[in-house]
Amino acid sequence: MSKYSLHEIIYGHHDLRVHVPISSCTLATGAQEVYRAIEDYIKRTGVSAEIHRVGCMGLCFLDPWIMIAGKNLPPAIYANVKPLDVEKILDRYLSEDLSGAYALRFRIDDKDYGIPLLDDKPEWKYQVRFVSRNCGIIDPESIDEYIRTGGYEGLRKALKMKPEEVIEVVRKSGLRGRGGAGFPTWLKWKITYEQKSDEKYVICNGDEGDPGAFMNRLLAESDPHRVVEGLIIAAYAVGATKGYIFVRAEKPLMADRLEKAVVEARKKGFLGEKILGTSFNFDIEVYRSAGAFVCGEETALIAAIEGRARPRQRPPYPAVSGLWGKPTLVNNVETLAHVATIFQVGVEEFTKYGTEKSKGTKMFCVTGAVKRTGVYEVPVGTTIKKLVYELAGGPIEGRKVKAVQVGGPSGGCIPFNLFDLELDYETLQAYGAIMGSGGLVVIDDSGCMVNVAKYFTDFTLAESCGKCLPCRVGMKIMNDILGRIVNGEGDVSDIEVLRDLGVSIIKTSLCGLGGSAPNPVLSTLRYFDNEYREHIENRKCPAKVCPKLVTYVIINEKCRGCGVCARQCPANAITGAAGKPHYIDSSKCVRCGACLISCPFGAIEKT
Amino acid sequence: MVKVKVNNVEIDVPPGSYIIDAIEKAGFKVPLLCYLQDLFNEATCRICIVKANGRIVPSCRFPVQEGMVITTSDDELSKMRKINFELVLATHNIICWNCYRKGSCLLVSLSKELGVEGIPVCSECSLYGDLCLVKQGIPCLGPLTIAGCEAECTKQNAPCIGCRGFVSSTSTWRNALRFYKENNIKKEDLEAITRIFWPILPSRFQNLIREVYMQ
Ligand SMILES: Cc1cc2nc3c(=O)[nH]c(=O)nc-3n(C[C@H](O)[C@H](O)[C@H](O)COP(=O)(O)O)c2cc1C
Ligand code: SF4
Ligand code: SF4
Ligand code: SF4
Repeated sequence: MSKYSLHEIIYGHHDLRVHVPISSCTLATGAQEVYRAIEDYIKRTGVSAEIHRVGCMGLCFLDPWIMIAGKNLPPAIYANVKPLDVEKILDRYLSEDLSGAYALRFRIDDKDYGIPLLDDKPEWKYQVRFVSRNCGIIDPESIDEYIRTGGYEGLRKALKMKPEEVIEVVRKSGLRGRGGAGFPTWLKWKITYEQKSDEKYVICNGDEGDPGAFMNRLLAESDPHRVVEGLIIAAYAVGATKGYIFVRAEKPLMADRLEKAVVEARKKGFLGEKILGTSFNFDIEVYRSAGAFVCGEETALIAAIEGRARPRQRPPYPAVSGLWGKPTLVNNVETLAHVATIFQVGVEEFTKYGTEKSKGTKMFCVTGAVKRTGVYEVPVGTTIKKLVYELAGGPIEGRKVKAVQVGGPSGGCIPFNLFDLELDYETLQAYGAIMGSGGLVVIDDSGCMVNVAKYFTDFTLAESCGKCLPCRVGMKIMNDILGRIVNGEGDVSDIEVLRDLGVSIIKTSLCGLGGSAPNPVLSTLRYFDNEYREHIENRKCPAKVCPKLVTYVIINEKCRGCGVCARQCPANAITGAAGKPHYIDSSKCVRCGACLISCPFGAIEKT
Repeated sequence: MVKVKVNNVEIDVPPGSYIIDAIEKAGFKVPLLCYLQDLFNEATCRICIVKANGRIVPSCRFPVQEGMVITTSDDELSKMRKINFELVLATHNIICWNCYRKGSCLLVSLSKELGVEGIPVCSECSLYGDLCLVKQGIPCLGPLTIAGCEAECTKQNAPCIGCRGFVSSTSTWRNALRFYKENNIKKEDLEAITRIFWPILPSRFQNLIREVYMQ
């Protein structure tokens, strides 16, 4: 985006422009109420101001944030704004007191307000905002703002080329699928292009069923036209006449914004018949699915649109025989947004970043035990350490990071001592994880790795469609064994069974769900073998997480006999006279942990 | 025609054929369970797996490609077929002694073929029904021990003493113990015959006996 248009969008045409992010994540933290408070403020004070609805920047730990841009003042971002704070913040800002701001978006003069620049903050500095360039800046529901930032220029350029030339541009970019496997995008396009068929389809995969991952939602909610533009370019390249955007019904805002984008694009002639005066006809339907994790798998996704969501054996691949038996291109939300951006700003801007085998940037979603939860766009090949420590701020005070689960519920756990590894498809695979859609869940020393593995298999087991045997029954057995181990009923032979079964499930399952579901177990067995052995051989949970393997005790010296714990205990397991050390009857204790949290003197410990 | 190689045998098959067609045409066999030619090939059981150019794929539903090199058996394939077959058995309620199929079923033949020791001797016992020794109150080990002996002893009216050892599945044990109890085989007699294998009964087994006999 040129400096000029960024400036224009941030300042608008009033004395004051307040930017409020309206997206699923900010709404959940109260952005709507903040929006109303700002409206009230403007009405009450009569300042010449407007509110600018924007998408989400991806810095979740700031939610809800606002950005204020006033005449002759630098745009300032405020974090964790409550409706009651609005008045004070705006009053101060207008009197040129920027204290309390989290960062300045940019400077307009040399004046020092004592507030750091966003660009100097590690969570921003190390990002390369390529696909997410507009997120949190433009109004996602305004096609004009998108166009003003260069939007649909990519499509114009593409339509002046022959489809083969478009595919060649994608080949040169080295773009690989951002939905999981990292398949070269151009190759998939070429195969689809080469099929002879009266009809072809393109589908944008926006299922994003991984719990805790939301980069696709964020991108589509904050900059939906970028996804639509990418899909139109893809359709032109492969010769499709109809496209679908597959979204979960439980992400209504994402679906609504994409739908609106499609309608607006149609009005402007980017969709429909004879697009931009060429002979190319294409239209898009937003498909709202009931949703299941497996629906993200491309054959299941296609089957879901046809009315029965279950994977089928490939080949034939969708590129050859997909929706209604016709050649079908399936690409991820981020992949398509990359395509649009590459055509807008040029291949070189993309290939500047990334590794030899894997170009460009990728949005990663970092959650779990870190200071700064968020979605960060960084070059492919960035180290785990940089992402977790520099961008996401590392562990919460007093904690140590133990591992990171990369790639969603069927990814793998990478231990701390391998955090210098680079986040790219091949490296992750070699170390037992997957890129997946780019979700990272950070686990600190309060986490039990066996329990983590159990947690993920609970999820994948519940989401197994049940069609093929290794996944349906094998995952059940793995999950049962893990259940026994965390309950202190494991057997030494279980480790071998988990390994053999896990490898067999991965190699013989029908689809990628079973083909990756054992990863969390296999990777924790590989790197945290000692934790399994502690559970099995010594009936101990080293992290003191697994309820059956911990006991709660009161330290006599610390206990003042206040009785708070006894009142909290749901099992009446705590006895003692007032003023005298209390005692927990381990046979009655249900290991809920309520007493430990409640004791005002820190007298209760887990052993 | 498409040229493929099955275990070093070169063969031509029509385009669009699945690997299984090539394998059969080349004169080899792979174990099949869920596949029914022309009726069902959704590749759900993953028992018919083979290697195509080194990759494990289900032969019933994987199309041949020119020059494809197919291996129908090696250590890894056997191991995984066996694991997958054990998964089939894990979900099957094994009551061979009462099953109307009288052992003439795919599970029994496959378990022998794959060397999976999950099916009890009753599956191949010729004394079904009224002749069953257990039903006559004789503590025969058939319901608890591994098939594959063709159940010769029972034909001579001698109870099975489980030459091939115990099946290992707990659910099969439970079903068997219930069967003993229904036919008034005393707990002590049962414990006595199982001591052939275990001087001291494993706790898993003891617990089950207690569970079933106390009910
Ligand atoms: C269980 C499972 C879930 C998946 N979920 C998604 C998803 O939510 N989004 C996605 O883009 N791809 C998902 N995929 C990958 C798709 O099958 C497909 O490879 C991808 O959409 C292709 O797009 P790409 O080439 O742009 O990455 C999933 C795969 C599996 C096996
Ligand atoms: S691997 Fe799991 S999700 Fe995939 S087809 Fe088999 S049972 Fe269904
Ligand atoms: S852990 Fe829960 S059940 Fe146990 S003593 Fe404390 S409060 Fe009671
Ligand atoms: S809350 Fe703490 S100090 Fe009070 S009785 Fe319980 S253990 Fe003792």
